[in-house]
Amino acid sequence: MEEVLLKIREVSKHFGGVYAVNGVSLDVRQGGIWGLVGPNGSGKTTLFNTILGLYRPDRGDVYFNGDCITNLAPHQIYGLGLVNAFQLPRLFYQMTVLDNMLVAARGHQGDRLLNSLFFRKRWQEQEKELIEQSMNILELVELDRQVFSLAGELSGGQRKLLEVARGLMAKPKLLLLDEPAAGINPVLGEKIFMTLKNLCCNGTTFFVVEHRLEILFEFASWVYVMDKGSLIAQGYPQEIIDNPTFYEAYLGEG
Amino acid sequence: MNPLLYALDVLVFIGIFGIVSLSLNLEYGFAGLANFGKVAFFLTGAYSYAALSQIGLPFYLCLICGAMISAIFGWLISLPALRLRADYLAIVALAFGEILRLIVKAERGIAGGVWGITVAPIFPYTGSELIYRLENIGLVSICLFICFLIAQLLSNSPYGRAIRAIREDEIAAEALGKDRAKYKAQIFMLASAMAGLAGGLYAQYLQFIDPYMFMPMITFTVWIMVILGGPANNWGALLGAALVELFERGTNIAKDYLALPVDPGNLQYIMFGVLIIFVLLYRPQGILKESHVKTKALELAGYGRSTAEDKRG
Amino acid sequence: MIVNWPQVLFNSVVTGSLYLIGAVGLTLTYGLSNFPNFAHAEFITLGAFISYGVAHQLELSLLPALIITFLITGAIGFLCYRGIFQPLARGGANMIHLMVASIALGFILRYSIGAAWSWKPLYFSNVWPLSSLWSHHDIGLLSITNLWLWLIFAAVALSVIMHLILVKTKIGKAIRATSSNPELALASGININRVIWLTWFIGAGLAAIAGIFRGADTQIWPMTGWDIILPVFAVAILGGIGNYYGSIAAAYIIGLAENIGVIALLAVGLSTEYRVGIAFLILIVTLIAKPQGLAMLFRKA
Repeated sequence: MEEVLLKIREVSKHFGGVYAVNGVSLDVRQGGIWGLVGPNGSGKTTLFNTILGLYRPDRGDVYFNGDCITNLAPHQIYGLGLVNAFQLPRLFYQMTVLDNMLVAARGHQGDRLLNSLFFRKRWQEQEKELIEQSMNILELVELDRQVFSLAGELSGGQRKLLEVARGLMAKPKLLLLDEPAAGINPVLGEKIFMTLKNLCCNGTTFFVVEHRLEILFEFASWVYVMDKGSLIAQGYPQEIIDNPTFYEAYLGEG
Repeated sequence: MNPLLYALDVLVFIGIFGIVSLSLNLEYGFAGLANFGKVAFFLTGAYSYAALSQIGLPFYLCLICGAMISAIFGWLISLPALRLRADYLAIVALAFGEILRLIVKAERGIAGGVWGITVAPIFPYTGSELIYRLENIGLVSICLFICFLIAQLLSNSPYGRAIRAIREDEIAAEALGKDRAKYKAQIFMLASAMAGLAGGLYAQYLQFIDPYMFMPMITFTVWIMVILGGPANNWGALLGAALVELFERGTNIAKDYLALPVDPGNLQYIMFGVLIIFVLLYRPQGILKESHVKTKALELAGYGRSTAEDKRG
Repeated sequence: MIVNWPQVLFNSVVTGSLYLIGAVGLTLTYGLSNFPNFAHAEFITLGAFISYGVAHQLELSLLPALIITFLITGAIGFLCYRGIFQPLARGGANMIHLMVASIALGFILRYSIGAAWSWKPLYFSNVWPLSSLWSHHDIGLLSITNLWLWLIFAAVALSVIMHLILVKTKIGKAIRATSSNPELALASGININRVIWLTWFIGAGLAAIAGIFRGADTQIWPMTGWDIILPVFAVAILGGIGNYYGSIAAAYIIGLAENIGVIALLAVGLSTEYRVGIAFLILIVTLIAKPQGLAMLFRKA
């Protein structure tokens, strides 16, 4: 059995008097694409933000690779290899596409003040490799023609792609993707999931929120279903499709 | 006054304020930190220089210590403010500048209080005003060059990329592994040190300081320099410093030749205010556009060649 | 050292009243337009000068001068927002741009005032030489001037009127709704622009009234407003930005802290010029401990 990568135990988060996430416990194991689905407002994005340290949970704990990360700052969690791509792209719009990618590189020596001033040789090689790596990823998401454009000049779909690409750039152990296929054409969406599947072989695990269920269920190895802040079902995609609770949650939405 | 001497005097001022302008550009242009109390760190450098030179420290130590003391002050101010929003930092920094001026004004023991204090110049006056100014231009240029080099190296490195990212979207930058509090504090300290260095140079050049030389006006002038010249562009910061300084001198000269209905001393600042609002409204990027990160590796990858093509196509 | 505590308390109420009138406009525009308007100091200064001007030219007494000044400065505040900040905000300016623009506006106003009048201090006692405003009464241990009573009365009247406006009138409800949730207010059909314009009008007008009292109590010069900018900002921050009730409490807390602080400064032998340092201290402590200020106490569930 594969190792448990992400372990969430009894996590709750409320805003005002409303529970956005209420006592959720789940495991994500090493390897594959893990899905998280649920109607709008069921707490998926809040759960992601809590995992990432952007919100501090009111109760419960989050473990990554065996370490408790509940009280770590987002940049520390990132450093451990738990990375995120936002649902609404949060790019650095005054910077070039390539710079957006390079910012995301994990452990770049040149990120340090003294290295940038006095030891510039130390990271030039690394920078060269990272550029190559960015180019490969950008090619994968068909952004290789816009490498030197400003991120602010990209179209909505391209921004989404860059957001996902930036997440991949960090060579994460676990990448949280919030609706990676939303707002881009279905063929490219399919292609992104294909790419993710291929990347799984390199030891990356994905935890994906997605509304395009047909794509997600095609690629996911295990799916969690959330509704009104709680986990209501889990299983193999085929089981979920046949699960009446799942239908109720979605139909209840309207 | 001898025009040559006057021109040299202008150059010294451009050099000194060029350093302050570069430092604010690091904070605001690259890292997006609104330091509305720039004058506080300039003041700290000037008063530290005055105090230390009285004990008899050699001038280079006075300058370096002045810069370090300013850096420490910058760090202290950054503690409460950097985790918070841009407006809080602005208010705290502005208030800090006022308080600091209040302290040096109220305490005669520090440097003569309201009466100010004479400062020993680095270059002893040998009878020739020309040589005195040339020597100062030499010293200021060296300091300016060092600061410019630091600013250029920082902004053209992955570090510069990280602080730009924090400026653009600090939550996203934090989620991408950039410890924003650390980066902001570092930039704030470094920039404060530069402002402190400039303050030391200023004090010894004028050979006198008093609290009225460090009004909030200074902060505002430096902001005009950066916004006019072009934020996030080190050349722009220098250009802005030169333009604003020349403008200031120009109006001072014009005062003697023109009969204006408005006192030129007032008019100058009114025009500064109007200018800045026009720049913000019609050319918020300043005269020179933001310079993007350039590293050797990026150049090898073809950056610079293909940007122009991309823009056309 | 013998301290006349009743006098200290009374002075605190006077100081607090001044800060309250000065800060209400700032906190409301700050909350609604989402940036601190540093030119607020110049609205205060402007009030002092305009009232001096109209009182001098038209030979008015305090109350009519006050009303005219409120209207003129309010109109100027509205025009400044309409002419500078609104176009900037529409053009996508960020908060820092708006703050810089407000400082620039402050300089324009301050030096225009300097050019129009002068940098030499003016005194209201020149305009109203025979007025009873400055006459002292001694009530028990207290020494009181009519001006201070007027100031306290103005602050109380302001508090009551603003409360009624905010709670009872449609526009007041709109101001509160817009301040707490602009998107929701927009969705519910409130004309946000009109609400913001009105707030800038009222805000600048109130600042002007503070300027009259400050000017009458001390002197009038182009830095009149800047002299009290620190406590005014401290009130806005401590009260919780955009929170009217919070700012009432904050104004009197800071008034009290300053007056007690002055005694403490005298006791330890420091210059009383450090008085404004007390406001700075409160400001810093608030930002470290509770950036939302006292607003928590005044938010209805």
